[in-house]
Amino acid sequence: MNSIEIRELTKEYGRTRAVDHLTFDVLPGRVTGFLGPNGAGKSTTMRLLLGLDRVTSGTATIGGARFTDFPDPLHRVGALLDAQAAHGGRTARDHLRFLAAANRIPVRRVEEVLEQAGIASAAKRRIKTFSLGMRQRLGIAAALLGDPAVLLLDEPTNGLDPEGIIWIRELMRGLAAEGRTVLVSSHLMSETAALADHLVVLGQGRLLADSSMEEFIEARSTPKVRLRTSDPVRLRAALARDGFEMASADDGRWTVEGIRAEQLGGMAAREGIPVLELSDERASLERAYLDLTADHAQFAATH
Amino acid sequence: MSAALPTVPVLHSEWIKIRSLRGTFGALIAILVATAGIQALAAAAVGQAEAGSMGEDPLLGAFYGINFGQIAAFTFGASALSAEFHNGALRTTLTAVPNRTRFYLSKIALIGGLAFLMGQVTGVLTFVLGQAFMGEYALSLGDPGTLRAVFGSGVYLMLMALFAAGLTAVLRSAAVVLSVLIPFVVMVPFIVGQAAGGVAEFLPDQAGQLVMHLESTGRLGPWSGLGVLALWAAAALAGGWLAVRRRDA
Repeated sequence: MNSIEIRELTKEYGRTRAVDHLTFDVLPGRVTGFLGPNGAGKSTTMRLLLGLDRVTSGTATIGGARFTDFPDPLHRVGALLDAQAAHGGRTARDHLRFLAAANRIPVRRVEEVLEQAGIASAAKRRIKTFSLGMRQRLGIAAALLGDPAVLLLDEPTNGLDPEGIIWIRELMRGLAAEGRTVLVSSHLMSETAALADHLVVLGQGRLLADSSMEEFIEARSTPKVRLRTSDPVRLRAALARDGFEMASADDGRWTVEGIRAEQLGGMAAREGIPVLELSDERASLERAYLDLTADHAQFAATH
Repeated sequence: MSAALPTVPVLHSEWIKIRSLRGTFGALIAILVATAGIQALAAAAVGQAEAGSMGEDPLLGAFYGINFGQIAAFTFGASALSAEFHNGALRTTLTAVPNRTRFYLSKIALIGGLAFLMGQVTGVLTFVLGQAFMGEYALSLGDPGTLRAVFGSGVYLMLMALFAAGLTAVLRSAAVVLSVLIPFVVMVPFIVGQAAGGVAEFLPDQAGQLVMHLESTGRLGPWSGLGVLALWAAAALAGGWLAVRRRDA
């Protein structure tokens, strides 16, 4: 009902293909992280979804309908695409009031979202006096105005201070937990890792990955364990028999690549080798993402 | 136009936009202040000096101030539209009103409605205030052509605001539109002089001001002249509608 359906979506600006036959779904009840290098087509996809740009071919719908056909758009979709997209001469309150009025949202709701976004004390100030972080908060307030079931947020943590980042993380997780559809683009891997349940990754306008965060990292990292033992000599010999190599890590621990904790633990038990600590080493989202996009990064520096 | 978003909330939204921007709202007020104020000052200063000192056509002379008021009307129409192109504010607007035709028509209707009301008040006040200083040369409401001129001057101001609004929707910048329109209406009368006939009388301001003439000498009469200005405004508005509909926001 409130999922986002992207089907064979294509957008060309002149001869540049910004989005290229893109197909994926964004489902409710979870936070979907939208990743990709600069120019991968994330913002374009969101703009096409909102009817701000005209699609070249394909469709982008929400619950089966085009956004531009909604009679009550702010009640359906809350969007923060560009925090700068506001007339600087208006006050924050007037900015939200004209948006609210267009969708018959009561004025008291404007006060509520100003409060929720933490900018109630700046409501009478003109937007041109706002810092980037305050503009982001205003943009988020606007997105929340109609209590929408779908949220599209393009780089919402831009310019936010650490408290703001924690605030928006909890806000988005809460919104997803209420069964809403939340699509968040970001450049910050650690931020996305802390936030998203699911990932959609683009590169040069094409879909590179659409999977859960777990699977995404799992699929792109070789297994590796980290351990501490009181008998490294015997363990090394036992591992060598099976073709694994034990490498010394810092702080007196050891790492073994290509093996999982359950496998190594079982082997150590059979051999009677004491193992004091044993854990799977998870690759970071950043590592997995960089591996995936290395070939696709249009503007990547050589490395 | 499948969206069933009602028009009244969109008009309300557009009204909040206009009244919340000082420049735009100020320009709306300035239509009245500039037209009636300059009319009164000019009439007080030179009105009774001799017959015809406010222009050869005494009725047109009663609306001398409109030469200044129309610049406020341009500014009102242009800035109401250009606010949407400031920092990409249109993108935010379209997330609330995604149907571009409804958005555009609502905005234009509100600009036209406000300029019409302000224009009518301006027409009456300009005439009454200005003539109060004219002594023996004063016209009074009810003299031939005066009611037509009072009403027509208000319509003229509205059409000028809409003309500028349509051009701004095409060109996306009030500064560009005003820097074309203002010199145009200030310079052209000097260049073409009083030469009746030719294409000059079909220019927006020349044609539109015929409604304030006591007698018209060219091919256009008072109402057909106003009609020609309405066509100019309609063409600009249609261009603006196409631009708003077709362009990526």
